[in-house]
Amino acid sequence: MTALVRLENIEVTVRDKMILSIPSLEVLKGEVLGVMGPNGAGKSTLLKTLALLDPPSQGKIYYQEEQIFNTQAPLELRRKCAVALQQSLLLDTSVYQNVAIGLKLRKNKKSEINKKVAYWLDAFNITHLAKKNAHLLSGGEAQRVNLARAMVLEPEFLLLDEPFSALDFPTKLQLLKDFKQIMSQTGTTAVFISHDLMEIKYLTHRLAILMDGEIKQLAQTAAVLESPNEAATPFIGEWKAFLQ
Amino acid sequence: MDLLLEGLKQAFNMFINGDPEIWEITLRTLKVSFTAIFISMMIGIPAGIFLGLSRFPGRRILLVLINIGMGLPPVVAGLWITILLWRSGPLGDLALLFTPTAIILAQVIVSLPIVTGLTSTAFQQLDEKLLLQIKALGATKIQFFIILMKETKLAIFAAIIAGFGRVMAEVGAAMMVGGNIRGETRILTTSIVMEVSKGNFDVALALSFILMGIAFIITFTLTFLQQRKRRI
Amino acid sequence: MKKMILVSLFAIIIVLSASACSNSTKSQPTEKAAAVEKTDLILATTTSTQDSGLLDVLLPKFESEAPYNVKTIAVGTGQALEMGTRGEADVLLVHAPEAEQQIIDSRDAINRQRVMYNDFIIVGPEEDPAQIRGLPVEGAILKIASSDIPFISRGDDSGTHKKELQLWNMAGIEPASVTSYIETGQGMGSTLQIASEKNGYALTDRATFLAQRDNLNGLSIVSEGDNTLLNIYHVMQVNENKHEKINSNGAKAFVEFMTAAETQSIIAEFGQDLYGEALFFSYTE
Repeated sequence: MTALVRLENIEVTVRDKMILSIPSLEVLKGEVLGVMGPNGAGKSTLLKTLALLDPPSQGKIYYQEEQIFNTQAPLELRRKCAVALQQSLLLDTSVYQNVAIGLKLRKNKKSEINKKVAYWLDAFNITHLAKKNAHLLSGGEAQRVNLARAMVLEPEFLLLDEPFSALDFPTKLQLLKDFKQIMSQTGTTAVFISHDLMEIKYLTHRLAILMDGEIKQLAQTAAVLESPNEAATPFIGEWKAFLQ
Repeated sequence: MDLLLEGLKQAFNMFINGDPEIWEITLRTLKVSFTAIFISMMIGIPAGIFLGLSRFPGRRILLVLINIGMGLPPVVAGLWITILLWRSGPLGDLALLFTPTAIILAQVIVSLPIVTGLTSTAFQQLDEKLLLQIKALGATKIQFFIILMKETKLAIFAAIIAGFGRVMAEVGAAMMVGGNIRGETRILTTSIVMEVSKGNFDVALALSFILMGIAFIITFTLTFLQQRKRRI
Repeated sequence: MKKMILVSLFAIIIVLSASACSNSTKSQPTEKAAAVEKTDLILATTTSTQDSGLLDVLLPKFESEAPYNVKTIAVGTGQALEMGTRGEADVLLVHAPEAEQQIIDSRDAINRQRVMYNDFIIVGPEEDPAQIRGLPVEGAILKIASSDIPFISRGDDSGTHKKELQLWNMAGIEPASVTSYIETGQGMGSTLQIASEKNGYALTDRATFLAQRDNLNGLSIVSEGDNTLLNIYHVMQVNENKHEKINSNGAKAFVEFMTAAETQSIIAEFGQDLYGEALFFSYTE
């Protein structure tokens, strides 16, 4: 398999402090790459770098072997990515408008926007909310809108930062199920940050353990969870002990 | 009480009979105030956005100065502008003293800090993650600001309403830099002062009703636009 | 719908803004097209000439005869003279002979011509609580000072205020030492209203009092006719050799206009129809 995105010697420093240091990382086409790690490990910074939102202090990013320089990424590449964060961060307008916004920014035709939005509202089971103001939604509804807003862009590359974490358990299960189905249908390449082993197991193909800004282990998800290496053991081990 | 009724009646008569001078003064008041608030918006909203979103050395000092400017007494602004615009002053060659432009300048100076300050407050309150999310949706720089302005619509309208109120109410500076010249720089507020000093309370009251009426209509419209209902 | 409101609002703002900016320059050229170029002439004068309505009669006539657009700045005589000293006005119409002499001596103003006079009067409550009716001015002032009836002063360095201080000086009293002495810092009209509200005495020019008498409950003339109460108006042009950007042709024309026989007869008649007596008296040199 070929890489969709490749990082080479990436370093992110803020006021002389090393936040992220990644000699090499490939996100393969069609895979869902999980990222786990303690708070402050640099997960969100990694996501920002991969989503081409913040240029790294040093290093190279290749998007489909096209190198992006250390400056602001070109708009057409940025527009191939979509991001969904932990907070839904919806705009103060209708659900429909919230889902349509990315397409509107891309100046899609109105008829096309209507078609796509209708499709994704249906896929996430929120068609009945289309006219409701997004600030009046429940947590689960808002996260569905958040994900639909990302998926409607039909991104080549999807970046998710704990989008399910704030949900109650039944809502989370239902949404995970719906989401997994959508991902396997579309074959979207994704990076998925989470603290939840269950979500990681359920959604990801490979798993990277990020600690202190470095990737300590990267392999098939099952393999990492079965046999974490020395560096990853404290983190994964605690999880496993807790679950048993 | 009689005086109030008399004033109301006279205001009505002035409008119905189309007293040309009243019309002229009213129209000039509108022109001057709209121009001033328009300029304040064009400068103040972008400046407020910039101050709200960016971080740079000296930003805090600037915010302090703007907050002080919000309470700047109009007569102080008027005095400074008068001195600047004097024939013997640094901008004397422009011959702007005692013109409507001078009044506009004074009104911009008293309303700009309000528009800038309130806009910047609204933008400082935005969640940084929201900014990230909007960028991640593929927004260009301009689209980014348009979305944010829609998000802060309530606050921006509040800034415009407050600024407009200041401009309409202002009299000290308009008197000083405009000179209350008949047919040129006489506006509703300065006319009211003059009519009071002439002892014509009925005319002054009539003018005050016209001023209040205009202020009411404009503020009502702005508030209506601000409060358009959220869809359920 | 929402967009339409916004767009139309925006359009209104733009149109109004555009016309406001062009207003000051456009209004004049259209009228003069065929005639001579009209220039602005700044007249610094006292509130009494404006508030009495005299200028509303005189200026349109002047503007129709001569190619000038008069901008009247009606302020206290003190400020009017200061505007002359600074070269911020082109021509002055004021009434404070002693202070005028200074600005003539300093050559900031030239061509000073006597125009008219009216007289100062002391007004007070109808029942005259300080009993000054019929007294000469000096005696009246002394009486007021020794009573506790308020005396309302302009306190704004205007011609009337200067005159009033001169009267106190003649009577040998320091007004600041009189407890019932009130300074308003405002124009004649406002000061008279305060006098009426507080049932006090005030020095005023006759013209302003007659013009506003209807609004001044209970105030009447209690002292008049004394020679020291003459209120003489002079017109003068600001010296172009001492100040820049002076419209000295306009100023000269205005001085000539004010002293012309025709203008003088208008001044003499002004107010007869409304008040039954003239507000100003022709008084050229």
